[in-house]
Amino acid sequence: MDKNSIFYDPSLKRRHFKSKLFKYFTLSSLVVSLLFLGIFLLDMVLKGSSAVQQTYIQVEVSYNQESIDNYRSIVDKKYLNLLSRAALREVPEQMQANPSLMNTKEVVWILADDQVDMYMKKYYYKIGEKDLSTLEELQKNGMVDKKFNTIFFTHGDSKTPEYSGILSAFIGTILTLAVTMLVAFPIGVATAVYLEEFSKQNWWSEFLEININNLAAIPSILFGLLGLAIYINLFGLPRSSALVGGLTLALMTLPIIVVSSRAALRSVPASIRQAGYALGLTKVQVVKDHVIPLAFPGIMTGNIIGLAHAMGETAPLIIVGMIAFIPDSPSSVMEAATVMPAQLFTWAGMPERAYIERTAAGILVLLSVLISLNSLAVYLRKKFEVKW
Amino acid sequence: MAKNKVKIEVKDLNLWYGDKHALHGLNIELYKNKITALIGPSGCGKSTFLRCLNRMNDLITSVRVEGEVVIDGKNIYDKDVDEVSVRKRIGMVFQQPNPFPKSIYENVAYAPLKHGIVKKGSSCDELVEQSLRSAGIWNEVKDILKEPGTGLSGGQQQRLCIARTIAVKPDVILMDEPTSALDPISTEKIEALMLELKKEYTIITVTHNMQQAARIADMTAFFHLGDLIEYDETEKIFINPAQKKTEDYITGRFG
Repeated sequence: MDKNSIFYDPSLKRRHFKSKLFKYFTLSSLVVSLLFLGIFLLDMVLKGSSAVQQTYIQVEVSYNQESIDNYRSIVDKKYLNLLSRAALREVPEQMQANPSLMNTKEVVWILADDQVDMYMKKYYYKIGEKDLSTLEELQKNGMVDKKFNTIFFTHGDSKTPEYSGILSAFIGTILTLAVTMLVAFPIGVATAVYLEEFSKQNWWSEFLEININNLAAIPSILFGLLGLAIYINLFGLPRSSALVGGLTLALMTLPIIVVSSRAALRSVPASIRQAGYALGLTKVQVVKDHVIPLAFPGIMTGNIIGLAHAMGETAPLIIVGMIAFIPDSPSSVMEAATVMPAQLFTWAGMPERAYIERTAAGILVLLSVLISLNSLAVYLRKKFEVKW
Repeated sequence: MAKNKVKIEVKDLNLWYGDKHALHGLNIELYKNKITALIGPSGCGKSTFLRCLNRMNDLITSVRVEGEVVIDGKNIYDKDVDEVSVRKRIGMVFQQPNPFPKSIYENVAYAPLKHGIVKKGSSCDELVEQSLRSAGIWNEVKDILKEPGTGLSGGQQQRLCIARTIAVKPDVILMDEPTSALDPISTEKIEALMLELKKEYTIITVTHNMQQAARIADMTAFFHLGDLIEYDETEKIFINPAQKKTEDYITGRFG
């Protein structure tokens, strides 16, 4: 450009270069974080996808009194090591439930042992030579097949990996979170309403505010210790129960709910409150009918984020005993239960290879529930948002 | 002046924001069925004074008020007077139109229902229509009563707020720069409405617009730095002010 032009600015080139640089710097950060997320998800999908199927073997089962007395005589001895013991132990129950089966023989699909499953999925396996040749022969005859793994979604934990599932942990999570929300939602929102709408600004309210903010940042394991000391030792509530776990998580979630609800209430314009008061309305009428409806989407979002936070929490629940071995789903909040992240923690520590794919599959289940919860939060916010 | 009936009598009114003395011993008589304009430069205390008349300042914790505001023979700052009942009798319209984010109908009906002035049903419908008519907005909104009040234009919103205020049947309407956020055509409508409303209500309005005060106000009070400098009939204030400060402000020498 002509140096005499009024638009001539020699520094512009360098300044534009700097803003470009800044743009690419922020963009690269985004790419890196997406990369991390992508690698994690890919790894989980790759590891967990094999858990979708489970190996079954077709064998002849003899239903008779001898099988009831000893499950080892249900099938031919040479197949025993290839089949899941947990599944074989179920056969006598089937006979008791259906007496017409007695003294018959039938060829059925029986769940295979986890090592057979590993062999079929081409992972590392440990099978004796004799058993291996039996397996290869069965395979040649088309007696071995992989089917959809319903057990993972319909059973609880088991000492035999092929027979373990996420259901009881899922039920435990739901019960625990139900307790958490029933306690934390009303207390948290009411506290926020008091602090935001009624309490006067003084040193005491500032002191409270600082402490509530600090509580939101306390390591969660401390809440576990508090829960152990108060609910179990002092109140004598049942250990490992969803009630104690839920109350402990409520302690942890409360500050998050209070802080986010306060922010939602504060974002309601002062002009709405003034309009209400100028009409001679009382505090309750203004807050209940005009302020809270406007703050509601924000309050809900905060609550669901708190809930998602509680859902992924493991440490405080381990302290209150929710890491227990739970084969059957709990039917009330007083029964021993475990939650999904705690179940994953247990499985991740198991030596058997088959638990690894279950851990990955469990993480995928947990993630899908979390994503649905967050989508619900977005939906609620959009639905109740008031247009100005 | 003798024919003017006193509606509000303010006696030695002082107000502090924390340590800051914002109103210095004001004495003024405001007349029934008149429009009184409060004028003065920013920060002179005219809005603060307005908010003393319906005890809106009570909502600010650091505010302390001394003195008397006697309305129809009763000091509203007496211990036995509830601020909520004061605000029901003394309505207020704000600078920014602030309809509730509810339907037009609910905007008007909410407070009368809560005060028990009407019951749900036809009597409430009547009151809503009557209030919207008085505010000169009925013809524009009669077919969209269920639509949100926030969807109206600024001028319509302000008239909706006026309808909402008169629906609780106040004696006095306070207006805090009711047209400063509006365009000239909406302003004209609001001004015409104010002239109409003074037949039934006593109106006290804060304005930054000299011409507006000259156009609509019967009485004008000039405030400066927390003092009431001059209070007289509007014509007198604008044509022949007694105080030098008033003249300087009106002629645009400061403010």
